[in-house]
Amino acid sequence: MIKKTLFIIFFIILYTCCSTCFAGQEVTVAKKHNVLSRTVAKQENVVLYPIKFYRNYISGADGNRCPMYPSCSQYCMDALKKHGFFLGWIMCSDRLMRCGRDETKLSPHVLMHGETLSFDPVNNNDFWWQ
Amino acid sequence: MHIRTTCLAYLFLTFFNIFFLFIPFSQSVAESDPEPDLQSSIIISPDKQFDFAESYFSNKDYLMAVGEYKRFIYFFPEDERVETAMYRIGMSYYLDRHFNKAVDSFNDVIDRYVDTDLSIKSYFMISQAHVKLNTFGVAIINLNNLITLTGDEDVRDEAYYRLGWIYIEMTSWEKARLYFSRISAKNKTKYRLERLTNELNKEKLIPKKDPGLAGFLSIMPGAGYLYCERYQDALIAFLLNGGLICAAYESFDDNNNALGGVIAFVEFGFYAGNIYGAVTSAHKYNRKQTGQFIEKLKNNTKINLSADVKNKGVCLAFEIIF
Repeated sequence: MIKKTLFIIFFIILYTCCSTCFAGQEVTVAKKHNVLSRTVAKQENVVLYPIKFYRNYISGADGNRCPMYPSCSQYCMDALKKHGFFLGWIMCSDRLMRCGRDETKLSPHVLMHGETLSFDPVNNNDFWWQ
Repeated sequence: MHIRTTCLAYLFLTFFNIFFLFIPFSQSVAESDPEPDLQSSIIISPDKQFDFAESYFSNKDYLMAVGEYKRFIYFFPEDERVETAMYRIGMSYYLDRHFNKAVDSFNDVIDRYVDTDLSIKSYFMISQAHVKLNTFGVAIINLNNLITLTGDEDVRDEAYYRLGWIYIEMTSWEKARLYFSRISAKNKTKYRLERLTNELNKEKLIPKKDPGLAGFLSIMPGAGYLYCERYQDALIAFLLNGGLICAAYESFDDNNNALGGVIAFVEFGFYAGNIYGAVTSAHKYNRKQTGQFIEKLKNNTKINLSADVKNKGVCLAFEIIF
């Protein structure tokens, strides 16, 4: 039992460290070589498929209830496009945890289609290291 | 042969008649054109054109004002108000939030006129436009250029004052203090420097959260958010991560390794997100507190340095609420 707990904790820490390193590396390498940047774009597109599927088929039927602007799915797409898979996934998870709670009181508000939404774009969450 | 000659003669006569008939007719038609009535036509004088542009400017129709000021400059290039019109073009763009075009227009004033009141005001407006564009570096360079060029102590002091405020916007408190201290003794009262310095010293009291500590505390899911005073986020992060870790553990324990792997993959994202979110929240907290401090500082101590063309007078206003 202790072994498995340690195993899980080890993987969590390893993943956290690696994801940040790889995300930065990917962007830097992609900037230097056009071929690689195309590959990165392709990878991102593949990653975006489930979100696009959600937006087109699930959210369309379920209704848009996200109190934030941009919506969580749009935010995830923006984060994945901007920072690649690993960091995009982390930012996406972070946003899903924050959605509709303290952020609605702390962020500035915008009026979109007659609804007051909390403004929380990607650059509001990566400004400190960009 | 005879027939042919006769035909040619008739043809010649016909053309001859038509030609001579047409000349007087065409002249009569030409003469029948009415002469332009100079009494009823409008002649635009420089005053009229400038006033027209000013009316657009005062009615806040800035882009129309730009067009009319440009017309004024084109038709009356020798008028003494050309410099004012050029400055007003810059102001119109600035007030209409076209900051890049405003910078270009103010640069035109500086290029054409040297060391005039409006060229100096143009320097100030360029730096103000760059502050609006968040290009603080260029704004600073521009004001430093003005300090180097001008021999007027009052202008230099105003440049120092503006530089100080730019450094406050950049949260470089020490540099702000340095530039405020360079203002000459005679203008210290004008810029309320004593009060400003006292208020500025309170920057050490701005409540701050340590992003590093927030990240470290997030090893325990939610603790980082709790530190950043985000109580609901903390609770959700704790429950979600705790639940997913338990689920992953149970799945591995029951030899459902595939399910355990999927849950662990999802959990990794949320766990890392919890750390990332806590660090970001600390930065957001600091940014918000600093922004509020600067706003309060502006409201309490910043004097209005309007770079408008006309000098402002004193105005007394009464308000009756009923």
